[in-house]
Amino acid sequence: MTLPLKELLYAPAAPLAAFAAKAHALWAARGLPSSVLDLLFQLAIAAAVSGFITVNALFIIWFDRKIAALMQLRKGPNRVGPFGLLQTLADTLKLLSKEDLNPRGIDPLAFWLAPLLVFIPAFAVFLVIPFGDGLIAGDLNIGILYILAISGLSVIGILSAGWGSNNKYSLIGGLRSAAQMVSYEVPMMLAILPVVMLTGSMRMGAIVDAQAGYGWFAFMQPVAFVIFLIAGNAEVNRAPFDLPEAESELVAGFNTEYSAMKFSLFFLAEYTNLFLTSAIAVSLFLGGWEGPFLPPVVWFLLKTYFVITLLCWARWTFPRIRVDQLMQFSWKYLLPIALANLLLSAAAMKLL
Amino acid sequence: MTGYLSEIYDGIKSLCAGLGVTLKHCFRKPITLQYPEEKPALPLRARGRLVMPVDPATGANRCTACLLCAKACPNGSLEITKAVGEDGKPKPRAAKYLYRSGNCMYCNLCVEACPFAAIIMSDEYETGTRDRESLDADLAAENHELKGSKLSWWLSKFKGEEPS
Repeated sequence: MTLPLKELLYAPAAPLAAFAAKAHALWAARGLPSSVLDLLFQLAIAAAVSGFITVNALFIIWFDRKIAALMQLRKGPNRVGPFGLLQTLADTLKLLSKEDLNPRGIDPLAFWLAPLLVFIPAFAVFLVIPFGDGLIAGDLNIGILYILAISGLSVIGILSAGWGSNNKYSLIGGLRSAAQMVSYEVPMMLAILPVVMLTGSMRMGAIVDAQAGYGWFAFMQPVAFVIFLIAGNAEVNRAPFDLPEAESELVAGFNTEYSAMKFSLFFLAEYTNLFLTSAIAVSLFLGGWEGPFLPPVVWFLLKTYFVITLLCWARWTFPRIRVDQLMQFSWKYLLPIALANLLLSAAAMKLL
Repeated sequence: MTGYLSEIYDGIKSLCAGLGVTLKHCFRKPITLQYPEEKPALPLRARGRLVMPVDPATGANRCTACLLCAKACPNGSLEITKAVGEDGKPKPRAAKYLYRSGNCMYCNLCVEACPFAAIIMSDEYETGTRDRESLDADLAAENHELKGSKLSWWLSKFKGEEPS
């Protein structure tokens, strides 16, 4: 039996479905319940996603540092492995070998649960990310709503990290994060709405399909695209919106008291969220996996890394804003512009 | 309303200017020096460890053990023993020129004080050691040889009479 490699790369939906059907037939022939096989398949997908998250986060951290070095006329990590690619791996090993500190006076439940509460939403959102034609773990018909609902949960994790640490800086960081997440979710949703209106569906697969033939929504909705990028950047707590972990004011914000494994979970979640924001921006505005010659997965990752580059560019250019400026920017500028954009595009769709 | 709109316009303009600056920097060469492998070209007057060079014309150092350098040193890093001839009389030569580099603050005052330009600050800066004793050196016994532009600069410094 030869593997249909070309088909697997370019249109994996059919061969994957054939494989699943074959496995089900074999499983049923032995008289076993098919729900167990489904569970096994789901576990395999979860394992694949967690493997992807880890490797990808290791790469994004390296990528981010290289871009920072490029903009600051430095060389960046270049010692461990070729081009310093293994630097993050070395850092991770160092982190994992550190002592897991539990400061006095913590709220154990909140303190221990916080890293998981931050990481699980990042993991769960991968369910609806369309990596390629048919390469989507679960194409929910409320994909967008699912993304917004699940990624909104991570604020609870950050808040409980701030509260559980029994540290004033952590608490301020957590509270800032809560305010920031809530404020920036509104313009983010208002930037997504025109896309949903244009598509007439909340399903991620349908949104990507609606942009077929290079009718990318970034060309039709440039304002919504920019607002989505800004609000998404604020959602992942990266500069210039990194107030929750502002080093110069709050030591390290909500993760001041975290060390070793728990800190590395926060770190992993931060960079996974960065990837997710970029991936969602690509799916909603840049045509998802669409592109000539190369396989869809490659196009998807290329576009996602392009958006990550944009966000890194902003991160290493702009200084951190103040809390009042943060609120003002969201409520006084982003929200009215997003609303006006929504109204205008609705009117245009009705008239045209 | 117009104030609000112009504010937005100014904001976008200044943000784009900032992005432009970092974009421009992306195309410049990194200024990093991979230190242990690459070393900087030091300027001529860089002040490293003190040395007493050998004059290529005479094959010996120029020190007359006049002790002006030891008097000029604010830290007392220099300790000079005059050479004594066979007849028991002191000679204008340093038998021992003890330089305690751990004490030295590289102020160059000893070099300024020397009337014969017998000493000079070299460009050796990697002088860290593991024990205190190895910080002290007898410069007269070292027979340091200067090279390149530092040598020609040092030779041009001394235009007066040769030490007798």
